[in-house]
Amino acid sequence: METTFSEYFPYVHHAASRPATVRDGADGRRHPVVVAGGGPTGLALALGLSIHGVPVVVLEADDTVCSGSRAGAFTRRTFEILERLGIVGQVMADGLGWRTGWTYWRDREVFRFDMPHDENQKYPPAISHLQNWIEQLMVEEAGRRGDIDIRWQSRVAGLAQDSAGVRLEVASPAGDYALQADWVVACDGGRSTVRGLLGLPMTGMRYEGRYVIIDVRMDTEGLPAGRRCWFDPPSKPGGTLLMYKKPNGMVRFDYQLNEEDDEALEMQPERVFAQVDAHLRMLGLARKWEPVWMSLYRASALTLERYLHGRVLFAGDAAHLVPIFGVRGMNSAVDDAHNLAWKLAYVARGLAQPALLETYSAERVYAARENHRYAMKGAEFMAPPSRPFRLMRDAVLSLAERHPALAQLANPRQHSAIPLAASPLNAFPERSAGFAAGPAPGWILPECPLRHAGRDTHLTSLLGPHFTAFWFGEADAAPRIETPLPLEVVAIPPAEDVTGRLYPLYGAVPGTLYLVRPDGHVLARWRQAAPAEIAAALARARAPAPATA
Amino acid sequence: MNAQELDEAYTRLCYALTDAGESRTPMILARLALLLMQEVGDAARIGRAIDAALAEPPRA
Repeated sequence: METTFSEYFPYVHHAASRPATVRDGADGRRHPVVVAGGGPTGLALALGLSIHGVPVVVLEADDTVCSGSRAGAFTRRTFEILERLGIVGQVMADGLGWRTGWTYWRDREVFRFDMPHDENQKYPPAISHLQNWIEQLMVEEAGRRGDIDIRWQSRVAGLAQDSAGVRLEVASPAGDYALQADWVVACDGGRSTVRGLLGLPMTGMRYEGRYVIIDVRMDTEGLPAGRRCWFDPPSKPGGTLLMYKKPNGMVRFDYQLNEEDDEALEMQPERVFAQVDAHLRMLGLARKWEPVWMSLYRASALTLERYLHGRVLFAGDAAHLVPIFGVRGMNSAVDDAHNLAWKLAYVARGLAQPALLETYSAERVYAARENHRYAMKGAEFMAPPSRPFRLMRDAVLSLAERHPALAQLANPRQHSAIPLAASPLNAFPERSAGFAAGPAPGWILPECPLRHAGRDTHLTSLLGPHFTAFWFGEADAAPRIETPLPLEVVAIPPAEDVTGRLYPLYGAVPGTLYLVRPDGHVLARWRQAAPAEIAAALARARAPAPATA
Repeated sequence: MNAQELDEAYTRLCYALTDAGESRTPMILARLALLLMQEVGDAARIGRAIDAALAEPPRA
C-alpha cells in the first residue's frame, strides 16, 4: 500500500528495448550471470561482478529507479562497500552525516546515544540519504563501466534450470523472449518473483506491527541530522514516532498504527497529513510542507533457509526480510551483494569451484539470523509484543532521564557489519589465537589512517578487487605467495604507521601478515607469516569442502 | 553487571512476564522486588530505590 505524490528528483524514464541479440524469441547469446531486479541489491551486485571482470545482464521490471525511497539510513560498512563500487564520493557529498540519536518520552528528552566513532575513522557512523538517489548513482556508474546491460521494463515470467544453467522467460513491452544464463541471482525484492517461481518458503517471525512511513519536502533549516524517536508524544498519545532529516530538503516520519486501527482508513492521505501536522506543531515548526511518498509496512524477520538453489542465488530482500529497527534492510542487502560478487565472479571465470558459492549462502544466512536477533531486540522496545513488555518499556522510559544506566535499554542497536566468526572459509584459527588484538578470521578490518607509498590514506582504501595480503614489514622482505587467485601483497613498514596506532590495533609486529578476502573480511592471519600456509588458505578458498549440513 | 548483562536480564524478565500473563505480572514483580531487597541487604539503598521508583518523572 503506497502512494507517490511526486518524484524525489527528476527520474530518468528508460524505454523498453529489445536486445539486438534476440532472434526468433530467444536471446542468442548465453550470459554468465543474469541478475533479476535492478534495485540497490541487483545494481550493487552488477557493479561488483563487473569490477571482478564478469559482464552482467540486469532485468528490471520498472522503467525508473524505485519511485519510493524505502531505505533512508546507511552505515559505515556500507560506505566501505560503496567505495569499492566507485560511488562513495557522490553518496557522501549528497548525504547528511550523523552520529547522534535522541529519544523522547512524552515531551522530554530522556536518552541520547552516540554511534561508535573515533579518530581512526574515514567515514561517519551513519548518513541519512535517499535509497533511490543511491540507485541512480549506481545506474550511472553501471553505464560508465560498459559491460552492465540493464534491461528496463523487463520482467522474469518463467524459469527452468538444470545442472548446466538457467533458462528465463522475459516479458517486455518490446517483445517477450527467452534468455540463457550460467547463473541467475534473484535480487527482486521482498515479493520476489523468482522465489515464487521456485516455490521457496521463508521462515521466521512475522510481527503484527504496522507502520506508516511518509517523506515530505519542507525547509529543514535548523533541524538536526540524526535519529529522533518519540514515545507517547503529545502529537501521538500512546504511540511511537520516528523523524529523520533527509537531504534535498526532506523529512521522513515513521509511526506505528495501534492494533485496533483500520489500515485503509489510517492510510487516507488526510489522516497521515494530520499526523505530520500535529507533530510539526508540537515541535513549533509551523512550516509549509508537501508530501512526496508514503507507504505502509509490516515488521517481519524472515529468511530463506539457503540462498543457493541449483544455479539460482538469492540476495537482499528476495533472500530475507528484516524489521526496520536498526536500519538493516538495504545495508545488509549491499553486504550480501559484496559477499557474493567476488565469489560468483571467480566461479564464472573458472578461478574457483562452485562450492565457493555454498559459503556465500552459509555466511549470509548466518548474517540474516544475526540481523534478525538484533532487530528483534529493537522491535521489542519500539513495538512491545505484549502488555508486560510494554509495562517494562514504559518503566524504563520513565526512569531513563534520572538513571542513565537504565536508559541504555533504549539504545536502538544500529546496523554494523556481522562478523563471520564461524565461516567455513576462515583458515588457520590456531594461528589467529596468538594475537593480543586485531580482527580474527571472519571479521572486517578496523579502520586506521596510515601514510602509504607517499600519501595519507586509510587501511581499507588499500583493498581492491582481489585478495590482499597486508604484510607488516619492509617491502623487500615481503613473502612471495604462489596462487592462481588475484592477490596483491601490500607492505606496511613500521614507518608508514604514522599515528603509531595501526600496529597495536592489529596486534602486529614486523613479520605479521593478514590475508584479507576481496570483500574485506579476514581469511586468516599469522603473527609471523608462513608462506606455505598462506598458499594453503588460498587454495582452500578456491575449492572449499562442500557443505556437509 | 555490564550493559549487555542488564539487557539480557531485562529481556528475560519481559519474556517471563509475557509467558505468565498480564494478570500474574503485578504479583511476580512484587515477589521480585522482595527477593531483590534480600539480595541488596542494605536498608538505606532499598529506601533510596523506593523513593526513586515513587518519584514522578521530571516535568517539562
